Amino acid sequence: MSTARDPQPAAPRTSSGPGRALVAVYGLFALAATARGVTQLVTQYAEAPLAYVLSLVAGIVYIVATVTLARGTATSRRVALVAVTVELVGVLTVGTLSLVDPEAFPRATVWSAYGSGYGFVPLVLPVLGLLWLRRTRPQPATSASTSSSSSE
Amino acid sequence: MIAALAYSVCALALVSMAWGLVTAVLDKPPGKAQLLYAAGLEVVVLVQSVIALVRLGAGFRPVELATTIGYLVGIVVLLPVAWFWANSERTRFSGVVLAVAAAAVAAMTFRLLVLWVAR
Repeated sequence: MSTARDPQPAAPRTSSGPGRALVAVYGLFALAATARGVTQLVTQYAEAPLAYVLSLVAGIVYIVATVTLARGTATSRRVALVAVTVELVGVLTVGTLSLVDPEAFPRATVWSAYGSGYGFVPLVLPVLGLLWLRRTRPQPATSASTSSSSSE
Repeated sequence: MIAALAYSVCALALVSMAWGLVTAVLDKPPGKAQLLYAAGLEVVVLVQSVIALVRLGAGFRPVELATTIGYLVGIVVLLPVAWFWANSERTRFSGVVLAVAAAAVAAMTFRLLVLWVAR
C-alpha cells in the first residue's frame, strides 16, 4: 500500500492514526468549499466576485492540504505547512473582515464569521493541522542546529 | 426530495455517526455490521439522489438549482470514499472517518430539504 519512502521510520506519518481523521475532515472541506466556489462563480459571479473567488481559493487550499497530509512525504509536509498556514491566515482575515466590514462580503464564504456556518470547523481545522504537523515532524538529533536534508 | 425519506436518511446517518464515535472511544476498528450499515446507508442516499434528480429532470425547479444538483451528486461520493479511507488503515480512527462522512450526509440531506422549495 504505502509506496512512499519515509526517511525517518520512527516519526509517525501525517496520514496515520489521528491523521486519518484529520485528512477525512480536510477532504470534506475540500469538496464543500471547491464545489461552493465553482457553483457560485458559474451561476452568480457578478453578485459578489471577491467572496466567490475567495470561496474557490479556500477550496484549493483545502485540496492541497488534503493531498499533502494524506501523502506525508518530506516534501508534502512542507507544502502542507504552507497550505495550513495560508488557511489559518485566511480564516482569521476573512472572518474578521466579514464582521468588521460586512459590505465587502455580501455573500457568505466558508471563512465568513470564522466559519460559523460550518460549526467553526474552518477555524479549528488549521490549528489542529499545525499541531499535527508539529507532532509528526521527523525527530531531529539536536533541537536547534539540525543539518538540513539534501533534498531542498 | 421526499420529506419522510430525507428525515430517515438523517436519522440513519446520525446512527452511523454515533456508531463510529462509539467504536473510536472503545478503541476498536469498525466491525462488519458497522461497515454493512454504512453500505446500507449509502444505498438509501443513492435512492434519494436518484429520485430527486428524476424530479429535477421532470421539471421541478428549486430555489437554488445549481446548489441542489451539487449536493445531490456530492452526497453520493462521501460514504464510498470514507469507506475506502477508513479501511486502508484500520484503527479506532477509522470510526471517526466514518462518523465524519455520516455527519456530512445528515447535514447535506437537511440542507437539501430546506432548499427543496419551488421557485
